[in-house]
Amino acid sequence: MTSNPRQNAEIQGRATARTQPMFHRVLRAHPQTVRDTLGDIRQRFREDVSEDTLGRLELVLAEVLNNVTEHAGTGDAVRSRTPSIHLCIVRHDSGLACAITDDGASLPDDCILPRILPTAEFPDLPEGGFGWYLIQDLTQALCYYREESRNFLAFSVPFAYDEASH
Amino acid sequence: MQLLVTDTDTHLVITVNEARIDAAIATRFKDKLRETIVRHRKPVEMRMRAVEFMDSSGLGAMIALRKALPEDMPLILKGLTPNVERVFRLTRMDTVFDIRPETENEEKRE
Repeated sequence: MTSNPRQNAEIQGRATARTQPMFHRVLRAHPQTVRDTLGDIRQRFREDVSEDTLGRLELVLAEVLNNVTEHAGTGDAVRSRTPSIHLCIVRHDSGLACAITDDGASLPDDCILPRILPTAEFPDLPEGGFGWYLIQDLTQALCYYREESRNFLAFSVPFAYDEASH
Repeated sequence: MQLLVTDTDTHLVITVNEARIDAAIATRFKDKLRETIVRHRKPVEMRMRAVEFMDSSGLGAMIALRKALPEDMPLILKGLTPNVERVFRLTRMDTVFDIRPETENEEKRE
């Protein structure tokens, strides 16, 4: 990996350079594969981040990966094959930076527009529509774009207030 | 599916021994328990201590179970772990369930 001048400056400012833990995986959009991958991510970061942050990361990634899995073969991607997902997570000083790309259906145009919760009055309780709300609520710097046949989604899951960076 | 269903006089007690209520099992979880809940037609108490993770599809399944009961018949949730409690709280669905802490006896027994 190449380093830019800013990263070099940070390294020189410390007694020892700390390698930031990361996770990279290419996976098929299938519920069991998503489940296994989330387990591996938990293993990868459990020494480095708090249980609270790990829980928020796992929930956000589950929502994003489930969306890709559920909407495979719909919209403009009517085809039988399972989308391929590239997932990368890097620990930064303020949180976990995540980048996810996939070759499945386009995300909805309004996925990064602010959402409000569906109203909840018994018996008209919504059974869905929470996924993007949770993603928006638990992330910072959420951005999305589509380039040719791939979706690009990036965001950060911040550390808790009392979780000092190492 | 790891579910233990006990019919006490007053309640249907369901102990969920699945570690995850996620997209991989949400539909089966919902179908199986909705049938049980509708058949017994009495207040439900779900013991959730073994559930370490729930996503929005799991939440959707829980809401479907809540709707399988009349409004005046409670669905009590006990022993929510932090990751599961977070999903109910962030989506404000904690208001449509009767969320209670486990009593000391229940914690020891399980």
